[in-house]
Amino acid sequence: MNQYAPSLTEAHRRFLTDLFPGEGCLLSAEGRAAFSADSSRCRAMPWAVVRPERREQVVELLRWAEAEHMPLYPRARGTCQVGNAVPALGGVVVSLLRLDRILDVDPDDFVAVVEPGVVTADLQAVCAKKKLFYPPDPASVKMSTVIGNASTCAGGLRAVKYGVTRDWVLGLEAVLPGGRVLRAGGRMHKDVVGLDLTRLFIGACGKLGLITEMTVKLIPLPEASASVLAGFADLSSCMEGARAVFRAGLLPAACEFMDANVLEAVRRIDDVPLPEATRAALLFKVDGTAEGVRAETERLCAALRPLSPVGVTVGTGAEEEAVWTVRRRISPATFQIKPNKVAEDIAVPRSRVGEAVERAHLIGEEHGLPVLCYGHLGDGNLHVSIMHDVSVPGEAEAAERAKNAVFRLAIELGGTISGEHGTGLTKAAFVPEQLGAASIALMDAIKANFDPSGIMNPGKAW
Amino acid sequence: MADRQCILCGACMAVCPLLRATGREELSPRAKSDLNRLLAEGAADLSGDAVARLAGLCLGCHRCKAVCPQGVDVPEVVAQLRAAHPDFRRWLWKTWLTHAGTLWPAGSAAAKAVPEGLAPEKFGPSLRMLAGLSGGPGLTPLLEPVKFPDSCRGERMLLFAGCTATYVRKRWADTARRLLDGLGVEVLAADFGCCGSGLSAVGLSAEAGVLAERNLAAWRAAGRPRVAVFCASCLEGLRAYRPDDSAEAEAWRKALTPLSIVLHDIEFVVSPHATSAIGYHHPCHAPEPDPDLALLRRALGDRMVAATGKECCGFGGVMRLGAPELSATVNAGCWAALQGAELVLTGCSACATQLAATAPAGVTAGHWLELIA
Ligand SMILES: Cc1cc2nc3c(=O)[nH]c(=O)nc-3n(C[C@H](O)[C@H](O)[C@H](O)COP(=O)(O)OP(=O)(O)OC[C@H]3O[C@@H](n4cnc5c(N)ncnc54)[C@H](O)[C@@H]3O)c2cc1C
Ligand code: SF4
Ligand code: SF4
Repeated sequence: MNQYAPSLTEAHRRFLTDLFPGEGCLLSAEGRAAFSADSSRCRAMPWAVVRPERREQVVELLRWAEAEHMPLYPRARGTCQVGNAVPALGGVVVSLLRLDRILDVDPDDFVAVVEPGVVTADLQAVCAKKKLFYPPDPASVKMSTVIGNASTCAGGLRAVKYGVTRDWVLGLEAVLPGGRVLRAGGRMHKDVVGLDLTRLFIGACGKLGLITEMTVKLIPLPEASASVLAGFADLSSCMEGARAVFRAGLLPAACEFMDANVLEAVRRIDDVPLPEATRAALLFKVDGTAEGVRAETERLCAALRPLSPVGVTVGTGAEEEAVWTVRRRISPATFQIKPNKVAEDIAVPRSRVGEAVERAHLIGEEHGLPVLCYGHLGDGNLHVSIMHDVSVPGEAEAAERAKNAVFRLAIELGGTISGEHGTGLTKAAFVPEQLGAASIALMDAIKANFDPSGIMNPGKAW
Repeated sequence: MADRQCILCGACMAVCPLLRATGREELSPRAKSDLNRLLAEGAADLSGDAVARLAGLCLGCHRCKAVCPQGVDVPEVVAQLRAAHPDFRRWLWKTWLTHAGTLWPAGSAAAKAVPEGLAPEKFGPSLRMLAGLSGGPGLTPLLEPVKFPDSCRGERMLLFAGCTATYVRKRWADTARRLLDGLGVEVLAADFGCCGSGLSAVGLSAEAGVLAERNLAAWRAAGRPRVAVFCASCLEGLRAYRPDDSAEAEAWRKALTPLSIVLHDIEFVVSPHATSAIGYHHPCHAPEPDPDLALLRRALGDRMVAATGKECCGFGGVMRLGAPELSATVNAGCWAALQGAELVLTGCSACATQLAATAPAGVTAGHWLELIA
């Protein structure tokens, strides 16, 4: 067990306010409060918050923290949904939003270099002006950062074609406890020399070191896209529809799935451009050249036809966005069913998504709670929302039991308890079940090489 | 007030100009709503006054409210915190707004009216800005209306001018009246007062309610016609009125019309002397899509070279008086987005005031009505 500094001493305070003058160091209760929680709504008060504006400050901070055994919690926008940005064991939160420069967007090397505070959508906008494309697109793309995304290995709608954040990181600079500076990878799109230290930081949630700069890969911006919303009379023809599209040799940029409960919830707040008889739906996006998109859209619709979809809507040009409204309305719509939600994001091998959905519904029935399933079918990543009402006695507990059953289901189907959001505080208890002791021991040993005193983001699961 | 609780989703963080300009997460809308909750729950070691002071650092731009999936109204939370924990900034603002009639006609009187003890050095720039708000000449007109459509001919309408145009920039209201006249609109006389939005923002809802009643009464007395408004902040303030009768509330909302929508089909010719580098500042309170921008695009074509989207001018009402340095940071971001423009137009009295007072050398700024001959 690591021994941490038990609190902030007067000398600690002096050190921090000297290194981070003025607004750079927050010690007041009201100032620190904003850094006590993330989107998981887990909470723990930090002892102090610091805001570096230069890398040298980060180096100095990590040298000090190692010597003082002071827990440090790197924080970008705090949109993590499992508590990874929460200062669970007390210590100092390092808010990185002031290191927010886009250092380079290079149309010849096809790379971009960013600091930790750069919001992903802002990078994408700058790239788009140069007809370049940085594809990772978590639903939080407008409010989370490129490096936060890398630290959680965020996925998104386009992962089926373009992969997740991991697939776009070429290199990074990180400061390690003790103030060592590590540079791994670079601007090369290929590099096979040595162990891939860059990759170790992806999804590490700040547990190895603090990333101060990252180089990501870019590609040419697709010039056109189109979307297809298809409704089916039952779950199995819907799953078969997705299979048919891939078998036809198509690789859509997105392939989203929605079950009957989701469609019903959305209908309560908005129009759904599909017939009432729809029991499951698929939403595809294709992108590329204008001619390619036209041809692919036709082939996609043709591939679906043998499954007799009850409705097909194609959205192109200005109308494309409208097709996605139903998908975007899911999150607010779920609360039409019940006021509280336990939302998990399991992933299973693609062939087993249908089974996972059916069994998740059964779990709901067993616990007397509505379960809504939707998600990134194209990569087997399923969002399972267990709806409940905490003011009804017993429902919160039932939701908790149902959640555990969903996790077991994921592992049983050869899947994972989290495809995107991570484990952090909220899913910590389940990690040993999925990973096993030997893997965890190896991960701990790797971490010890970077962070011997365990000061980096302690208290979180792998 | 929010019917549902903040879920810390962070959607509001994507749009907050204060967070964008400062990188201070404790100033984000999410932090404000969360802090308010912690205070209400009685979290240890939080002082109400300190929370109100921190949360009070808000531009009141309402961008966060527009995107919140839970319907949380952060500026309203801030207003309530300010109301519950009053301090002198609130007083200052009230003085300004409730006495606009006497303070603003001779701009410098506004500065003089603030007792010495309440005008420490850091208020200097703010005071100068308001002091500089004299009736001065404004922008040189560059657009001449040459053809008026018949779409509104014979319609009876009210014009809501707002404090700035009533007391300082009378030219805005004169131009608006002339254009409406050209359209054949009969502009009815009405005893409108201040929209009251500045008062609500600082938690003075009772005083704001009195102003709302007066304005609604003026509209009723005129027979509930359309009300043309040329200041985005006034429009948002007026839209927030909630008459008790639901049919009347609906009629009020429908009656409120941005002036630019009424003027949209007028044909203008651009003066040959017009600069070809015109920028547009999209006010935080403007509707989406922005009808003023549509009108100006139509009239100015390629001359429009820059436009803000996410940036706030930094006026920020009472915040500017209490934290001028934050206001200045936000303002700098706004000018950065307008780079390349020699002339900047906008459709909000607060933005016009702020931009005119802070324009870099060689750049002029004002309400788009000033551009029309
Ligand atoms: C509405 C909503 C939708 C979402 N949709 C998706 C989705 O579609 N897909 C998905 O994968 N996730 C999604 N998320 C989760 C979340 O947005 C992601 O986890 C995101 O990557 C977090 O980024 P952030 O910038 O907010 O980082 P934070 O939450 O601040 O940090 C995340 C983790 O990274 C670490 N970290 C941050 N910066 C650094 C650094 N410079 N060096 C070292 N460690 C660092 C932190 O310590 C923490 O452990 C969603 C969240 C919300 C609220
Ligand atoms: S105020 Fe609304 S948008 Fe902002 S975090 Fe809370 S719920 Fe989300
Ligand atoms: S009103 Fe504007 S400045 Fe204030 S919190 Fe909301 S978005 Fe930020």
